[in-house]
Amino acid sequence: MLNSCSTFRQHTRRNFLRIGGASLCGIGLLDLLRSQCQAAGGSSKAKQMIVCWLAGGPPHTDMFDMKPDSPSDYKGEFQPIASNLDGLQVCELMPKLAKQADKYTIIRSVTTMNKPGDHSRAPMYWLTGNPRLPSGTEKYPMYGSVISKLKPGPAELPTFTVLGKIDHHINNSIAGSFLGPAFNPFIFDPLAAKDDIAKMLSPQMELPAFTKNAELLKSLDKRLRGQDAADPLIAGLDQYQQTAFDMLRSPKLRAALDLSKEKPETIARYKQNHLDKTRYPSGDPLHFLLSRRLIEAGVPIVHFSLGYWDWHGENFVAGRQQIPMFDSGLSALLEDLEERGLLETTIVLALGEMGRKPKCGTDKNAGRDHWDYAQFVLAAGGGFKRGCIVGATDKLGEQVTDNFYKIESFGRTLYHLLGIDADAAFPAQSGRPIRLIAEDAPLIKEALI
Amino acid sequence: MRSTFRSIVCFALLLCAQMVFAQTAVEPSPPENPQFSRHVIAVFSRLGCNAGSCHGAVQGRNGFRLSLFGARPELDYAQLVRDQAGRRINQLDPENSLILLKATERVGHGGGKVTSRTSAEYAVLRRWIEQGAALDDAERSRVAKLEITPREQVLKTGAVYRLRVTAQFVDGSQEDVTNLCAFQSLDNQTATVDRTGQVKAVGVGDVAILARFRDEPILAMALINRESTEPFPDTQPLNFVDEQILAKLRRLNIPPSNVTDDATFLRRVRLDVTGQLPTPDEIRLFLSDAAPDKRIRKIDQLLNEPGYSALWTLKFCDLLGASDFGVYADGLAEHFEAPRFQAWVRARLEENLPYDEFASRILLATSREGRSREDWAQEVTALQDGYKTPRTDLELYAKRKTLDIYWQRRDAIGVPGAMQVAHAFLGLRLQCAQCHRHPHDIWQQDDVLSFANFFIRVRRVGFEGDNEKKYPDDAKLFKQFEAEGKRLAEEAKKMKEGPVKQLGEKAKQATEERNRIKNEIAKVEQSGKTDGLDAKRTELAALEKTLSEHLAAQQQANDLERRGRLLGDEVAKRVLHSGIFHLTDEAAQKTLAVVESPLGSQSSRDFRLLGEREPVTLGPDEDPRERFVAWLRRPDNPYFAKAIVNRVWSHYFDRGLIDPPDDLSPLNPCSHPVLLEELTRQFVAHKYDLKWLHRTILQSRTYQQSSQTNTANATDRTNYSHFALRRLPAEVLLDAINQSTGSRDDFDMKYYHWPENLSTVEIPYTTRNDFVTFVLEQFGRSERNSSVQCDCQRQSEASMLQVLGLANHPRIWQKVNDPRGRIAQIIKQTSDPSQRIAELYLGAVGRLPDDAELQTCLGHIASAESPEKGLQTVLWCLLNTREFLLQH
Repeated sequence: MLNSCSTFRQHTRRNFLRIGGASLCGIGLLDLLRSQCQAAGGSSKAKQMIVCWLAGGPPHTDMFDMKPDSPSDYKGEFQPIASNLDGLQVCELMPKLAKQADKYTIIRSVTTMNKPGDHSRAPMYWLTGNPRLPSGTEKYPMYGSVISKLKPGPAELPTFTVLGKIDHHINNSIAGSFLGPAFNPFIFDPLAAKDDIAKMLSPQMELPAFTKNAELLKSLDKRLRGQDAADPLIAGLDQYQQTAFDMLRSPKLRAALDLSKEKPETIARYKQNHLDKTRYPSGDPLHFLLSRRLIEAGVPIVHFSLGYWDWHGENFVAGRQQIPMFDSGLSALLEDLEERGLLETTIVLALGEMGRKPKCGTDKNAGRDHWDYAQFVLAAGGGFKRGCIVGATDKLGEQVTDNFYKIESFGRTLYHLLGIDADAAFPAQSGRPIRLIAEDAPLIKEALI
Repeated sequence: MRSTFRSIVCFALLLCAQMVFAQTAVEPSPPENPQFSRHVIAVFSRLGCNAGSCHGAVQGRNGFRLSLFGARPELDYAQLVRDQAGRRINQLDPENSLILLKATERVGHGGGKVTSRTSAEYAVLRRWIEQGAALDDAERSRVAKLEITPREQVLKTGAVYRLRVTAQFVDGSQEDVTNLCAFQSLDNQTATVDRTGQVKAVGVGDVAILARFRDEPILAMALINRESTEPFPDTQPLNFVDEQILAKLRRLNIPPSNVTDDATFLRRVRLDVTGQLPTPDEIRLFLSDAAPDKRIRKIDQLLNEPGYSALWTLKFCDLLGASDFGVYADGLAEHFEAPRFQAWVRARLEENLPYDEFASRILLATSREGRSREDWAQEVTALQDGYKTPRTDLELYAKRKTLDIYWQRRDAIGVPGAMQVAHAFLGLRLQCAQCHRHPHDIWQQDDVLSFANFFIRVRRVGFEGDNEKKYPDDAKLFKQFEAEGKRLAEEAKKMKEGPVKQLGEKAKQATEERNRIKNEIAKVEQSGKTDGLDAKRTELAALEKTLSEHLAAQQQANDLERRGRLLGDEVAKRVLHSGIFHLTDEAAQKTLAVVESPLGSQSSRDFRLLGEREPVTLGPDEDPRERFVAWLRRPDNPYFAKAIVNRVWSHYFDRGLIDPPDDLSPLNPCSHPVLLEELTRQFVAHKYDLKWLHRTILQSRTYQQSSQTNTANATDRTNYSHFALRRLPAEVLLDAINQSTGSRDDFDMKYYHWPENLSTVEIPYTTRNDFVTFVLEQFGRSERNSSVQCDCQRQSEASMLQVLGLANHPRIWQKVNDPRGRIAQIIKQTSDPSQRIAELYLGAVGRLPDDAELQTCLGHIASAESPEKGLQTVLWCLLNTREFLLQH
């Protein structure tokens, strides 16, 4: 937030000097903004980020905001257990995460307050930090798109990777933003046999043949060369073609996605408690492992959607199936990142777009309905405190009673850690300059080291 | 990229960032008695303090809030002097006023150091504080007229001159405000301007310099011509378009490129007019045609092909947001409506309906079109009934006179509706002015709200809770349909539980028996005997009859059920919740268009057309849209015809004569004003004939110029000295890939009754084919909704995923390797490797290979695993060349 205006002026003034010609092509602009951003943000605690998205909204009072003293029609079937953090009890189905509570922060006081909420809108809010709607608002970018634009990772790797899809309801409809298509995420699922985009990231032939083809292309693509220097579109195309071919030739991404390089025990550790058949789609815990491998390889942002948590019916059946799997996958990820010294610089988030209704009745097959007024966010690494609880809800788990923050605060906190100036403005398609987080909001300081 | 340029310009305007501290020229001393609203506010604007990204933001910044660009001096005064217990101003020790300490960063300032203690700005602020920090009468300092001199200057590269800005205030006083303005060059490659208003010519071309005094902007032009001793070439114009283009090039001394060769012309014009590549046969025929008028004939031919109307249907559907549906319970849906919308537009383009009539039939659309509500309900029933394979509703809807679907979209009325109308039909961007004065345009909030009132008395679709009460006649009809629907559903249910069920049991038995008899018949036939075969066959026939009776009964029940749903749900809801008509009730007369923003809820009582001074007075039952359309169709309308002329122009040249083409603001100067005026005048004189407009542009030498630059015109971007490269639009690109590989994509939309043979250009909304979606998303497709009203929706920048997709998506390889595709055809067609390569080249890049290319390809094919494999690689290469990807 500091220096926002002067930074902004710098953007502008330096852009002025380049307006109208060659240097204002995609690449030039990118470099320009990147350099400014570094100037703006200074050093950042977090270099990378993993978002484990719990689409549909996990039940906060059954996981990280247990209310054992609430009435029977609220408290549900699960018992709390102590964690290794004083004052934090978690669900009995998460014994592993209970032992690692000294690694993460639990935030209980950020919610959409249903403005806007629901499955079609709340994910857009959470994942962009702005109340973006399917239609009628500016297309705010996801955090990863901003990183793609301002702090791209190594050239031979995608910067913003989505494994599978962004969300269960809105699918990938927020992939595009006013930053432009160049900063859209790479969305693919290496675990799906028929995923064309995953295939697209490897050469469709043996490497020598691919190289030969690329050479032939180079010798045939000689027309329209005279005006290169002056034309931003052409310069961009050339640059991207070069980078794309380098990426295809490089073994880095393929190696990162190749799970056969992992020991069977490791895979087993991540897959522990994973069931083949579940009441709701469970997602694939190997996405945790792939995330770790991508982070190790140097990919800045990895996002995946882990199954479906919209448990209107049979909340506790679903909980017994999915929570232990989540426990194994996430705890394995945290352990591994810690062991590799990556947790210091990697934000790990686990959250959904809402909580679930604390009042669930006492039916055998009770479900929990939507709850847009309280939920949990698990945030570890990258500058988030180790072992910390931020905010509180009332004794039923219905309303935030302490340290309430809007989603904008959460978004600004992420940008802060990632070294991005959330007040940096970019031209939206309507021509209006829009700040990355449009509204002012305080950082969630309690959660930060 | 262009949109980025423009946006950055917007930034510039918003920020007035003139941060050069070096004092380059002697500045006249600041006013002895600065006034708050005249001078202090101007200093804030000049330094960028009251810009939207700083304290001018709605919520201010760090507790200090100024009105955007100082539009409300009295509020700013209160903030400055009274807020925070007045600590921002220190009258006892002016130098230590917080405002001055912050501005010079003697105490921490989020915005950094914005001025120095020796600057004129500082002096103004200090003196004002010293002299008592009073608030003057802002009304007296309202600007009556802002003047900039010289308004236009012709100069050579390297030359320098100084701008002067004079303000005349309403109290009659006049003042040189040059040192209180912020200056901005709209093209720093051509000329730069410093904070003193000194302009320096650094390139060649014309450029607008913008000066802003407080919130008042004004433009000056500079024209910088190229120095050269060579005479300007004797280039002959082909029509009046060229005369203007060449005249300006001559003034700038930038020689134009040559006319392009026939093959390039053919590819260019076919892609631009029909969205398709030329076929090899077409190319050969065109190249061998020796007639001098062959280009003119080709243009005429293409404008009469279906591809022309398909491509412009795409463009108009983008512009009109043709798939934005889904208001609660209105019975409307994208899969019904988007194809109908498209069919209607396409039919109008096919008949080449005059553009003013086209616009009028959209803007004045009603559902009933003067018919009784029963007749309209019948139409709705027929339309919904036609939603099947093949869809008969499309033709039916296309026959309607007016496009009521336009008004059935989300956000079609009131302020959002008005902004869409302004964007689509007037080429104006009004978003900013919804809430505050437009920062780089003339529009005030009141202009937008008064204009939006013209679109507030159109019935808003959807369930509103009281529709039944408000529209009792429609409600009656609704109930009838609902009852009829229920009755049919009951009937279907009865049938299913009765006869269908009984027949079903018989049929189940019959199926088993049929299998047995079939086996028996087969056995007998195998044995060669004929005994009892006839009897068995008769038995089989009887069983088949039972089965078909069951199927027929089932079908009948299903049909009843479908019709029940259709009438009781789809038709009933539409009849009550979705009819478009002009509201005449008393409540509607009082309703005003409202905008809700962080600044509160605002509206205007007037009906005033954009750019008009006086509001119009409406009769009690008058549909305000009629007034609007009458204004639109006046030959002297300043925007309507110009907007479409400029858009069609930008389709062919990738930039408007006013650019961006949807920003016809007086502060966005036209590169060729005489040409735009003349094209517009003749377009209107030709009765808004779109094909005349296309033909006139296409026949010009300017359109037919080569993209190959010469040394003198290579850096020109705005004067049409050569043809500008641009990427093919997403849909056209995918069709081109399919055409050159001889393959197609299965859109997987049979469930929605899509016809089999649609091209990508013709698809009405997102398909279920992941590859198609991927390509369209990566290469930029309009979402056809109201979220962004901007011609820039189709972004033309390059990206990694585009390049990767084109080079390495498995589907691309499947297409290249398609066993029934282009390569297979060519192999069958000829065995000569050179001819095969020639065919590939013609099909993909619209020309024959040159010798070097041919040799390279032959070499590659000879070393390949098989000729087929070799050709596949060549085709893959061609698809990945810039020549393929770009219009050139």
